[in-house]
Amino acid sequence: MLISFLVMYFWGGCVDSLGLVRSGDYLTVFIPATQSALVFRVRSRVNEGREVFNYGPLPIASGTSLPTYEGTSTTVPADGVLPARSYIRDGIAFPALTGMETVFTRSDIWYLSEDDRDRLFHVKTYMYPPVIRTDVQIPAKVTQGRFQKERVITGVDSELGFGRGFIEVVHIPLLDYGYRFGNDTNLNLKTFVKFVYGEYLVEVPRNPDLIFDILVRKVPSLWVTLPIAYVDPKIVDALVRVYGFPSDRLGFKVYRADERDRAVREYSELLKLLKV
Amino acid sequence: MKWLITLYGTASPTASGASGDFTLASTDVHGTFTLVRIPKGLKSKVWAKRLAGTVGFTLQVQASDDVTASTPTWYVVDSEHLASAGSLELEKRRPIVIQGRTGREGIKLSYANTTGAGTIYAVVEVEITDEED
Repeated sequence: MLISFLVMYFWGGCVDSLGLVRSGDYLTVFIPATQSALVFRVRSRVNEGREVFNYGPLPIASGTSLPTYEGTSTTVPADGVLPARSYIRDGIAFPALTGMETVFTRSDIWYLSEDDRDRLFHVKTYMYPPVIRTDVQIPAKVTQGRFQKERVITGVDSELGFGRGFIEVVHIPLLDYGYRFGNDTNLNLKTFVKFVYGEYLVEVPRNPDLIFDILVRKVPSLWVTLPIAYVDPKIVDALVRVYGFPSDRLGFKVYRADERDRAVREYSELLKLLKV
Repeated sequence: MKWLITLYGTASPTASGASGDFTLASTDVHGTFTLVRIPKGLKSKVWAKRLAGTVGFTLQVQASDDVTASTPTWYVVDSEHLASAGSLELEKRRPIVIQGRTGREGIKLSYANTTGAGTIYAVVEVEITDEED
């Protein structure tokens, strides 16, 4: 009860007890590399009341070879087991389970097509055991963790730049994400993945003043920061084709609170181009 | 982040005064193991122990600062004695804490001072966490 209250208080009351955006509230997807954000109003959450998805073990097959923190390699001893001292170098997607084969891409349940531009997956991934290191590549195979600009690349295979047991992302259509995991214990861990997700129907607010107020945090919105430190061409392609942003302005730039006039002028021009 | 892992070990000493390490298993782990290495920045907390056996024995929780050494140095951080055949359950109000400072620390379970030949069992609840308290 207290936790729910604190969550609602600090996130401005726009999320429910699961941390998902409620219908009618706003979602801001911030991209650090561009210093801009995608601002959405969640028209509805189509899986309301059915947000928990017990996926099962990690999709790593017995016999797969994985690198280790010692610089050698090891073999996955059984399906879904993350071997001792190993990590996944190239991020993986979560393939469709039995009965889900009709998803757009069977190899990735969170992948949406360009035509699904009015739809977003907000996915909170919980790993068991929670000691497992986590990070995400956007797009897959492009590691985004950075330290001191581009000087050091970080992630599950590094000393820093990873979480443990949890990842939260918003899946932008047309972009494939690569989830990475690492096990720095000496135990062959049997894994389990639980998703708490929202399948949102979204629209971009058409009022540039409202977008400005959201981005200066005068209007409550859930902010999800995507770990994007490097703008890969696939990210540009997705934001251009899916939402209609020009390639030199990938989102609504976050201005200072005293730059309203300039921001609103720019947002007005952008809104004329958007497809959502 | 916290992970509560239950370690199970069994051994069959053949004479009084025997000692050795338990081979461990857990429902969260594929295969068996003899020690738990503590990742850097995390800590292990030993909360509860259950001892049982057809003979008495001493259960020792041992820790090492470097389990990657060719011959790790182990020191006893906790010891409980089952005086004779039977069982004993113990819970700590304050756990035994071993901090992972380098990522090479680890713990293992050992037995000693067995009172005869028989089968002995140890079950230990260990929490791996990054929380301060």
